[in-house]
Amino acid sequence: MSLKNVLGVALGILSAIGGFVDIGDLVFNTQAGAVFGYQLLWVVVIGVVGIIVYSEMCGRVSAVSKRPVFDLVRERTGFGAGLATLIASSVVNLMTCAAEVGGVAICLQLLSGLPYRALIALAVVGLVVASWVLPFTWIERVFGYLGLCLLVFGVAAIKSHPGWGHVAHGFVPGSHAGGSLMVYGYFVVGLLGAAMTPYEVYFYSSGAVEDRWGLEQLKLNKVTAIIGYSLGGILSFALMIVAGALFLPAGIDPQFLGTPALAAEHVLGQVGLLLALVGILFAVGGAAIETSFSGAYNVSQFFGWRWGKKERPAAASRFTLSWLIIFALALLVVMSGYDPVKLTEYSVIFSVVTLPLTYLPILLIANDRTYMGSKVNGKLANVLGVVYFAIIIAIAVAAIPLMVLTHGGKG
Amino acid sequence: MSKVVELDIALGVLDHQLVDSEGKNCGKVDDLEIAGLNGGSPEVVEILVGGNAWRYRGRLGRLAARLGGNAVHVPWSEVAAVTEVVTLKRTAAELRLNRGDERWARLVGKLPGA
Repeated sequence: MSLKNVLGVALGILSAIGGFVDIGDLVFNTQAGAVFGYQLLWVVVIGVVGIIVYSEMCGRVSAVSKRPVFDLVRERTGFGAGLATLIASSVVNLMTCAAEVGGVAICLQLLSGLPYRALIALAVVGLVVASWVLPFTWIERVFGYLGLCLLVFGVAAIKSHPGWGHVAHGFVPGSHAGGSLMVYGYFVVGLLGAAMTPYEVYFYSSGAVEDRWGLEQLKLNKVTAIIGYSLGGILSFALMIVAGALFLPAGIDPQFLGTPALAAEHVLGQVGLLLALVGILFAVGGAAIETSFSGAYNVSQFFGWRWGKKERPAAASRFTLSWLIIFALALLVVMSGYDPVKLTEYSVIFSVVTLPLTYLPILLIANDRTYMGSKVNGKLANVLGVVYFAIIIAIAVAAIPLMVLTHGGKG
Repeated sequence: MSKVVELDIALGVLDHQLVDSEGKNCGKVDDLEIAGLNGGSPEVVEILVGGNAWRYRGRLGRLAARLGGNAVHVPWSEVAAVTEVVTLKRTAAELRLNRGDERWARLVGKLPGA
């Protein structure tokens, strides 16, 4: 690889790290840490490997077959089941987008002290203008790099002096202490859901098709997925460790999105607080853009419309309207007073239910030689793919019962 | 002579992307009209796109068909190639497959920079 390529890959990885954490990871990792300390770290590992397995598969399928995910959903599951998946995923996308928009507004409020409602409107206008004006490479850079401020949580995790023996113990699945088994199960589902959010896969595959990925991008695809997501996963560990070290002993229940930022302040002072808020702001803002575009990609691909950020907005008119409408609806949802943290919990749990129908077509096509030629899944990809598919089905079945029975993790 | 390729129309054609002669997306193969099922040799004669083409596609399809308008009928003779997508010989406009995007293009076109 030439220096320029290495640099390109490094930059891609950096923005993947900054873009890994969204509001779902923030909420679930901090809450899990506040309730169970470090005991659920092993779940994050499983979740991160899961998103690596499926996004690598999905990027490879897009590069070889030139088909994005929702084309495949429609082709493999047909109109009826495909439409059901579309509706379910659109609801989840909208809820997630609303939660992320709310998160942006909360960060802006903590940074500026201005009224929340005005900042919701400002957040949406800002995100729409950024999406309209900037090409994706720039959106990825601006939001991805500034999202790297979240690395402050890594420093905070170390400086909060967790018992490293206990932390290491958390990477081994096993019996738990404190909280009921049901609540433990709820957080297992939530953490996996937060790590394997379906919109990331929709967005990633559509982006790959738009950028006209071919066989020569397969290596880049693999490297970005493995390194980018693994390093991103470290941020998830950090959030859980900070919460376990500071919130659990103090009995703090992080029901407010700003709570993790206070942990950074506690350890690192004003600078820590500022970095944490800026990091959350851009991580969550970037995710808001990804969710609105994912919704537009899905509906356009299902009905066969023209789509793409690179198309003239008026030429791909229905695609353009779709993402604008999703932002408008997200604005309405947050304006009507739904709490972003609550919205996040619901959106992650519901997204788990839609996971099987998203990932099954990918797994099938990745094994189909008429699409993939010699680039079909190897043994490792298939073993992992099938194991994860079984995990996904199990958590999809358990998700809603656990949420209801534990009252959203409250026991 | 072209190579004979086996094609499963349920898996390889139905629900696939339609692309016009300029490479633009213009709908999906929502249904297929097949003639000669009673005796004779069955043959795909038309592709149905959009609207009430969804009516035989399950319960949700029936509901969607009621909300959509009339389907556009594209004769199979307009098909240039079947790969991962179904490529047509003419443009979307010539085959009347551009109505949806055209309708909303006027609205979106009013936005600055569109």
